[in-house]
Amino acid sequence: MLADFIQHVANGLVMGAVVALPALGLTLIFSVLGFINFSIAALMTAGAYAGWLVNSHLHWPLLPVLLVAFLAAGVLGVVGDRLALVPMRRQVSAHTPLMVAIVSIALNLALENALRFGFGSDLNSFEIPIARDVQFAGIRVGPQQVHNLGIALSVAFVLAIFFTVTRVGKAMRAVADNPDLARLKGIDPARLSNLATFIGMGLAGIGGALLAIDTSVDPSTGSRLLLIIFSASVLGGLTSLSGAVLGALVIGVISEVALMAVSPVYQSATAFVAILLVLLVRPSGLFAGASGVRK
Amino acid sequence: MTSRRTFMSAGAAVTLGAAHPILFAQASREPIRIGIVIPLTGATSQFGATMSKAAQIAAEEINAAGGINGRKVEVLIEDDQSNPEAAVRAARKLIDVDKVVAIGGSYASSVTSAIASLCWESKVVLATSSGADSITKLPHQGYIFRTSPTVTLQGTRVGELAVELGAKKMFFLGPQTPFAQSYIDIISGIFAKAGGSGSGLIYEDKKSSYRSEIDQALKAKPDVIVLGGYVPDTSVVLKDLYRAGFEGKRIGFSFGINQKLLEAVPAEVGEGAYSLVPSASVTAGAYKRLTAKMKVDALDSYSCQVYDHVQMVALALASAPKADANGTSVRDNLRNVTQQAGATVVDNVADGIKQLVSGGRINFDGASGPLEFADNGDVKGVFFRYEQIQKGKLVVTKVA
Amino acid sequence: MTSYLLFMATLAGIYAILSLGLVSIWGQGGMVNLGLVGFYAVGAYTSALLSQAGLPFGVTLLAGGFLAGAVGVALSYVTRPLRGDYLAIVSLGFAEVIRLVATNEKWLTGGSDGLASIRSPLKVELGALHPWFYLLLVWTIVAIAAFGLTRLMRSPYGRALRAVRDDEQVAAVAGKSVLQLKLKTFFIGAALTGVGGGIYAHLTSYIAPDGFVPLLTIYIFLAVTAGGYTRIIGAVVGSFSVVALLEGTRFIAAAIPGLNAVQVASLREFVIAASLIAIMQLKPEGFFGSKNQPSKGPSAPAPSATAGLAPSAASPVSGRA
Repeated sequence: MLADFIQHVANGLVMGAVVALPALGLTLIFSVLGFINFSIAALMTAGAYAGWLVNSHLHWPLLPVLLVAFLAAGVLGVVGDRLALVPMRRQVSAHTPLMVAIVSIALNLALENALRFGFGSDLNSFEIPIARDVQFAGIRVGPQQVHNLGIALSVAFVLAIFFTVTRVGKAMRAVADNPDLARLKGIDPARLSNLATFIGMGLAGIGGALLAIDTSVDPSTGSRLLLIIFSASVLGGLTSLSGAVLGALVIGVISEVALMAVSPVYQSATAFVAILLVLLVRPSGLFAGASGVRK
Repeated sequence: MTSRRTFMSAGAAVTLGAAHPILFAQASREPIRIGIVIPLTGATSQFGATMSKAAQIAAEEINAAGGINGRKVEVLIEDDQSNPEAAVRAARKLIDVDKVVAIGGSYASSVTSAIASLCWESKVVLATSSGADSITKLPHQGYIFRTSPTVTLQGTRVGELAVELGAKKMFFLGPQTPFAQSYIDIISGIFAKAGGSGSGLIYEDKKSSYRSEIDQALKAKPDVIVLGGYVPDTSVVLKDLYRAGFEGKRIGFSFGINQKLLEAVPAEVGEGAYSLVPSASVTAGAYKRLTAKMKVDALDSYSCQVYDHVQMVALALASAPKADANGTSVRDNLRNVTQQAGATVVDNVADGIKQLVSGGRINFDGASGPLEFADNGDVKGVFFRYEQIQKGKLVVTKVA
Repeated sequence: MTSYLLFMATLAGIYAILSLGLVSIWGQGGMVNLGLVGFYAVGAYTSALLSQAGLPFGVTLLAGGFLAGAVGVALSYVTRPLRGDYLAIVSLGFAEVIRLVATNEKWLTGGSDGLASIRSPLKVELGALHPWFYLLLVWTIVAIAAFGLTRLMRSPYGRALRAVRDDEQVAAVAGKSVLQLKLKTFFIGAALTGVGGGIYAHLTSYIAPDGFVPLLTIYIFLAVTAGGYTRIIGAVVGSFSVVALLEGTRFIAAAIPGLNAVQVASLREFVIAASLIAIMQLKPEGFFGSKNQPSKGPSAPAPSATAGLAPSAASPVSGRA
């Protein structure tokens, strides 16, 4: 029974690791720009396709593939943002954040269909060989999945350093905390918004490539996980970067452990109920920081 | 050559449609229109591209043979977006604006159920590739022709194959569909009769990993796992089964294990998995011709069925040159060209038309099967191709 | 051709009812609701199941609306401490849960097989005239709902609601019962959506979980935004625009040569998405603009008064460009 539980937790960590980076991207963009950018799903897919192209046609190995995924998704993310979303954010209205979010859903749809136009509906596989699971302390673990988790945590760690040590990173945190004050100190939010979108979407691209390596890539690769990504970000507090990663892992674990009690067909329902319960207890998510200050 | 009609659109994005040159297809040179409703986008869109190509090839062959009663055949393809609401709008447009005589394609069961009543009420034939049993039980007055064997038959064959391969314990893994539970019950029943046992689990279809579900399956220590999912989730399940080191047999249905799946998983992951594909007989020429034209080694059953939909509707009209070219004529004459006893067997539309024009009778065998329809519209006498993935390719082991 | 246009006009009417629901909840009430399609499904299934049990059409419609409204109130009550962005995911999740229940509880909803042969009122008696009757019926309901909502929104209730929308704290201090207003409004909006669902079920005679997807919520948001999201007349005009866009792009995409079928389909969806983006950028206030323009927050004056002032000084929201 305990072994069963631990196995489910392990499976949950694996599942959560896949959405950790996209959730991190979503949270980063929300922190600096103030709205939910739903196009993250299509940018995950774009990153996956970019990675797949260099892997299947040029036979590049994992790390360069991830780099390409990061760059492609990051650039495309900024382009999409400037074309579709920046004009929305310039408008002044109490409802602007929701409007921008709605437009980002349309942007997501547009990007997904552009990918479908170019690549068709087929599922494509990477050339990276699949590793068998290993038994570790009585539970079954996938080495590649552990590797993915490691990559997600490393990237999050690098990002954390970026935000605490570099000037640009600190400026972004300042804008996230208080944009007016940041402007008074000479920081230009507009320039930073491009960087935030670039990094955030780039993270989604890496996440998409990792997901596609584990499964496959087709135009809907990212969209299938959009709600889970959003949930992970919300659970983590929407403005806390470490919260995003933890939120992703927590959702993964809750979903998988729930399988011990609930029928598998209702798995995402349990995730949503869990989120609702958490939000009712802590309306700003799990990790909004002790004094409500966003991290 | 092009299967699309160009319209004059008035106020493009703002108005509801375009002016239709002729409202009634009675003029002798007007093309005969056949609508095709298929999933080009959305969750079930894996075969959309090949289905549309097969439909177009079918029309090209008919027109190359001189058309039907001197008129060309035109296929109009609409996307159902894997969604019954979009399917209904598409069917309405095809029936009311394009005046199609029949609608073919119709893959997902919910799509078919959604447009069925619209078709029979408008006296338009619906040729469907859906397997759900409930469809032919609707009061369709003969307007539905189903070219896909029923869920019950497919499940029975899979169960029998599993037993034949020597398995004693079966576990079923699949998403929630109208037939998932039926498959579990049917196949478990077959195993029970053979002295074994079976059980199953229904999972959510959009997951990126099925480790826990596979853990549960493996706990039952099955020697065969039956996969009831579509390509996206089956590709993940196969990968996870490989990771888990499952050594037993894996059998899937043709909507899950097919050419598209081969492109989605590395060779070692799929190696040895079986698939049962509804099919024409070994000697059938139509299938060989179609795969050659589409430049593939093997073609999924659904694309073959759509090809047959177009051709059998066209031949039905060709056999009744004096009747109006409409859905009722198709309904009344279709069985005359697909299953007439004593008629000349043909497997291509050129021979078929030639025979009909010279006053003969034909028995058309299509790319998906011999096309014999029971009174309720179900197809009889379908063969199955037993395929296995070997070294990254689908190899046919037998046809029965 | 006529039947096709009739059907599209009827569908536009159904979308108009949904849009009116969204205008109430979001436009006038300021509450986020991305779970529209969930209430739509509740209304559709309730009306379909009750009518299969033998109840007459009008009763089933009202029951569907009422149940959807009740579910809306429950959801809105339970989520009352949640802020906008957080409410978004919960409402999206709610719609998904409804779809999951509809897919898996075969004994109740028929599962993924759906519910077929849903009877339409007077279908047999009217024969070929039935589509006209149904069109009239739907638009009569739209008219009644629009009229009722207009009266309601002009009344003290409406003013109180908009006060809550614009600034909850001030409204509470002024003595408005914020929670009650919100719950009542959510009931009205959700109930209207549920009625729309019932009408849809009896129009198409078949419903399935596959048809109740979040995409529909996006279409309604498009309809409402195109028309002017606080305006009731906007809901009606916007709905026609959306149906025209959905169907018109079918013909345009088909006219472009040299594309394969998947490309045509994806081009069409691209055009629909791009249109939403374009409309929101060019006319975010919609065709009819906002009548009761909300102010941008306690620190900022209303835009009409600051036409000459630099926008960047006016509100924290603009800092995020």
